[in-house]
Amino acid sequence: MSGLLQKNIDLAGSNIPWLEGLRDKGREAFILPTAKTEAWKYTKLRDLSADDFVLSGTDEDKSHGEEHCTCGQGECHCHHHHEPQTNLPFAGYEIHFENGILQTLAFDLPKGVMIKPLMEAVFDGDDVKKYLGKDIDLASYPFAALNTAYLEEGVYIEIEEGVILSKPIILINHTHSCHQNIMAYLRNVIVLENDAKATIIEDFEYTGEEKSRYFNNIVNEIYINKQAKLEHYKLQNEAYKAVHISLSSVRVREGGFYESFCCQKGANLARNETKISLKEEHAEAVVNAVYLMNGWATIDTTTDIEHLSPNTKSQQLVKGVVGGNAKGVFQGKIHIAPNAVKTEGRQLHKALLLSDDAEIDCKPELEIYADDVKCSHGAASGELDKEQLFYMRSRGIGEEEAKRILVEAYLNDVINQISQEDIKTWMLSQATINQEEK
Amino acid sequence: MDNKQQTPEILDESGDKYKYGFTTDIASETISKGLSEDIIRQISLKKGEPDWLLEFRLQAYRYWQQMKEPTWAKLSYDKIDYQDLYYYSAPKQKVAPKSLAEVDPKLLSTYEKLGIPLKEQEVLAGVVAVDAVFDSVSVATTYRAKLAEKGIIFCSISEAVREHPDLVKQYLGSVVPYTDNFFACLNSAVFTDGSFVYIPRGVKCPMELSTYFRINAQNTGQFERTLIVADEESYVSYLEGCTAPQRDENQLHAAIVEIVVLKNAEVKYSTVQNWYPGDKNGKGGVYNFVTKRAACRGENSKISWTQVETGSAVTWKYPSCILQGDNSVGEFYSVALTNNYQQADTGTKMIHIGKNTTSKIISKGISAGHSDQTYRGLVRVSPNADNARNYSQCDSLLIGKNCGSHTVPYIENRNKSAILEHEATTSKISDEQLFYCQQRGLDEETAVSLIVNGFCKEVMQHLPLEFAIEAAKLINISLEGSVG
Repeated sequence: MSGLLQKNIDLAGSNIPWLEGLRDKGREAFILPTAKTEAWKYTKLRDLSADDFVLSGTDEDKSHGEEHCTCGQGECHCHHHHEPQTNLPFAGYEIHFENGILQTLAFDLPKGVMIKPLMEAVFDGDDVKKYLGKDIDLASYPFAALNTAYLEEGVYIEIEEGVILSKPIILINHTHSCHQNIMAYLRNVIVLENDAKATIIEDFEYTGEEKSRYFNNIVNEIYINKQAKLEHYKLQNEAYKAVHISLSSVRVREGGFYESFCCQKGANLARNETKISLKEEHAEAVVNAVYLMNGWATIDTTTDIEHLSPNTKSQQLVKGVVGGNAKGVFQGKIHIAPNAVKTEGRQLHKALLLSDDAEIDCKPELEIYADDVKCSHGAASGELDKEQLFYMRSRGIGEEEAKRILVEAYLNDVINQISQEDIKTWMLSQATINQEEK
Repeated sequence: MDNKQQTPEILDESGDKYKYGFTTDIASETISKGLSEDIIRQISLKKGEPDWLLEFRLQAYRYWQQMKEPTWAKLSYDKIDYQDLYYYSAPKQKVAPKSLAEVDPKLLSTYEKLGIPLKEQEVLAGVVAVDAVFDSVSVATTYRAKLAEKGIIFCSISEAVREHPDLVKQYLGSVVPYTDNFFACLNSAVFTDGSFVYIPRGVKCPMELSTYFRINAQNTGQFERTLIVADEESYVSYLEGCTAPQRDENQLHAAIVEIVVLKNAEVKYSTVQNWYPGDKNGKGGVYNFVTKRAACRGENSKISWTQVETGSAVTWKYPSCILQGDNSVGEFYSVALTNNYQQADTGTKMIHIGKNTTSKIISKGISAGHSDQTYRGLVRVSPNADNARNYSQCDSLLIGKNCGSHTVPYIENRNKSAILEHEATTSKISDEQLFYCQQRGLDEETAVSLIVNGFCKEVMQHLPLEFAIEAAKLINISLEGSVG
C-alpha cells in the first residue's frame, strides 16, 4: 500500500453501504503508476511516493499548522474559516475551499440551481448516488481511484431543466502554506439537466510561503444532458513545489455541448486530465488549454475524447510555453467507436521551448473504428522566431520584454477563443510565466 | 538430424487472392523442434561457425529466456509456442552450388512462379543481383564477380562469417544489440541466414542489390539477419522482397536488418512485403516481427527506408534511424495496406543525436475489411541535436465500416532549436471522388484502386522502378474484395 493511501481515516458517511462500497473500490483500484505505466510515461511520479503527506483537516494537519504558522498574523487561522477572498474581476456564485475543505457556499442562488456540500447531498438522499463514480474506470485512472478512496469533500451542483445561469459558478481553492505536506481530495458532481446552461470556473491558488509542498487531487464528474451547455474554465496556479492532479470526467448527451479552457502555470507536478464521452448524436466538445512554466516543473495536459455516436464533434487546441528545466507533456486521444459515423475530431498541439534544458513530450493519438469520419491531429514544437525577436529589438524593446510579448501573442489565439469577454480578459491577464524559483 | 518433408503442391482453388500460395517439394534438412542451448550449438555446428559467434548466440539465448514477449502493440494473436518450431531448415544439398546449373531445379521453378527467374536475370545482365534466400540458407548468389571487381561484398551472412569475419564481428549487433527487444534477441540466438553487404569507401554500387526471401518448410520460423555496411562516401540501394507459400498454420518470422552508414555515405533500403496474409476469415498467415534499424554514424550520412507492406497476418515493424552524425538525414516512406483480418502495427523511430540532422516521415495506411492498423512512431530530439528538423505526415484511409485505423506518434523534444511538425489525418474515400470516377465510366473497384494508388503515390515514387510496378499491382490485388 502506498503512503498516499492511508488506513484508519475517519470519513463522513462510513455507515452508508453504497458510499463505503465505492470508497472500497477506490482503495482496491489504486496503484501508483510507475515509469512503465503507459499513461504516465512522460510524467514521472518518483517524488510523490516518498512524500509524507497528511490528509487535510485531520488533527495531525491542524497541530502541524499551528506549529509552523508562517502567516505572520500572530495566531494561525489557517484551519479556521477565512474571510472569503477573491481577486476575480467579475461576479459569480462563489464557493470557497481552504486546503480542500469547503468553507462557504454561494448564496442568492437563482431558482432551479442547487449547490450543496457533497456529503449533505449524500445524506439527503439526493440524486448524487446516481452519478457518483458512474463513468470513471478506476483501473485506468489511479488518482481518481485515490480520490474515491477519500471521497468526502466537494460540492454537488444541479441545474434544473431549462435554467440558464447568467453568472458563473466559481470554485475557489486556496491552499495555505503553514500546512506543510497536506493532501486534499475534492470531488465535485455537476449535473446540467436538459436545456440548462451554465459556466463553471475553477481557481486554484495558494497563500503564504511559495515553497510549500502539498498535493491537491480533484475529480469533477460532469453530466450534460440533452441540449444543455456547460462552459468550464480553470486556472491552476499552485505553489511551485505543489502537486496538482485532476480529472474531469464528462458525459455529454444528445445535442449537449461542453466547452473547456484550462490555464496551467503553477505546481511542480501537474496533470489536468479530461475524459469526455460524447454519448449521443450531435454532442460536441471543445477542449482548449494553455500551459506556461519555468523552473523544474512538469505540466501535463491529457485528454481522451470518445466519440460514441454519429454526428459528434470535438475540437482541441493546446499550446504551451516551456522554459528553465521544465517539461511540458501533452497526450491527446481521439477515439471513434464503430458506427460513430459522420464524426469530426480535430486536435492541435503546439509548444514553444524557451531554454536549452526545456523539454516537450507529446503523444497525440487517434483510435478509429469507423470509416466515415474526419479526424486529424497536428503537433509542432520549436523556439521563438529569431526574426520576430530581432524585429522587436531593433525597435527598442528589451529582450525580456520582447520575449514576453511574443509568448503572450503565441498563446492569445487559444485564449481569444473564450466567448465570454470578462473571463477572456481575466485569462489573458493570468497567462504569464511565473517567476523562476530562486 | 534429417527430417524429410514431403509437402504436396497446393494451388488454392477456393478463389483466394494470394498468388504465391504454393509449396515446393524439396527434402529439408531440419534440426528437431524446439529451442535450447543444444539446438543453438547444433545450428552453429551445422553452419561451421567460429566460437565467438556461438558465444554471441548463447548469450542472446540466455538473455532471451529472461525476457517477456511484448504486449504493448495493438495486436492480438494466439500465443506462440517457441518450443513448437523448427529453428533450422535448409534445402538439402550435399555440395554448395557454384553456379545456377547446380541449383535444385525445383527451387529454380519456385522462383519462376514468383517472377524472379534467376537465369533470365543473369541474361538481363547487370540490372539486379539476387541473393536468393530459400528458407534459411542462401542457395545462389549472382553477379558476385561483377560486384567483387568494385570490392563490394554481397553474400550470405554465413559466408561472410567465414570469409570476412572481422567485418562481421565489428558490426554484427552494433546497431541492434541482442538485448534490444524480445524478437531481436530471439533472432540473435537462432538466426540461420541472411545477407551481408559491404560497400567499400568511395564506391557507388552500380546496381540495385536485391534479396528474395521465401519461407518454405512447414513450421520453420524464419530468422533472417541482414547486415549492410556502407563505408565512407559510398552508396547502395538495396531491395528486399518477400513472398511466402500458403499455409494454415501461422508462421513466425523474426528478422533483423542492421545498417551502418558512415561519413558521406547513403543507403536506400526498399521493401515490398507480400507474405501470406491469411485467408478471408483470418485463418493462417505469417507473423512478422521485424527489427530494422540504421545508424547514420558519420557526418552527412543518409538512410532512406521505403516500404510497401501488404502481406502478413500480423506485422510488428518499426524501421528506425539513429541520426548520430552531424547533418545526417533519415527518411521513412511507408504504405501499409491491410485487408480481411490482417493486423499491422508499424511505423518508425527517428532519433536525432547529431547537429543539423533532419528526418522525414511519410506514412500512408489503408485499412479495409475487418483489419486493424496502427501507425506508431517516435521522433526524439536529444539535448545536443541543435537545429534538428522533423516533418511527419501520417494519413490513413478507411475502406468499409469494420476496419480500424490508429495513429500513435510519440514526439519528444529536448532541444529548443529543433523544429518538429507532425500531421495526421484519417478519412474515407470521399463520395465525391468516387462519383467523379464512376461518372467517367470506371467501375467502383477500379475507381477505388485508382484513388488508393493516388493516395500512396508520394511513397511509391521513392521505390525503384521494378518495385514500384510490383507494388502497385500488389495493392490492387490486396484491395480486391474490399469494395461493395
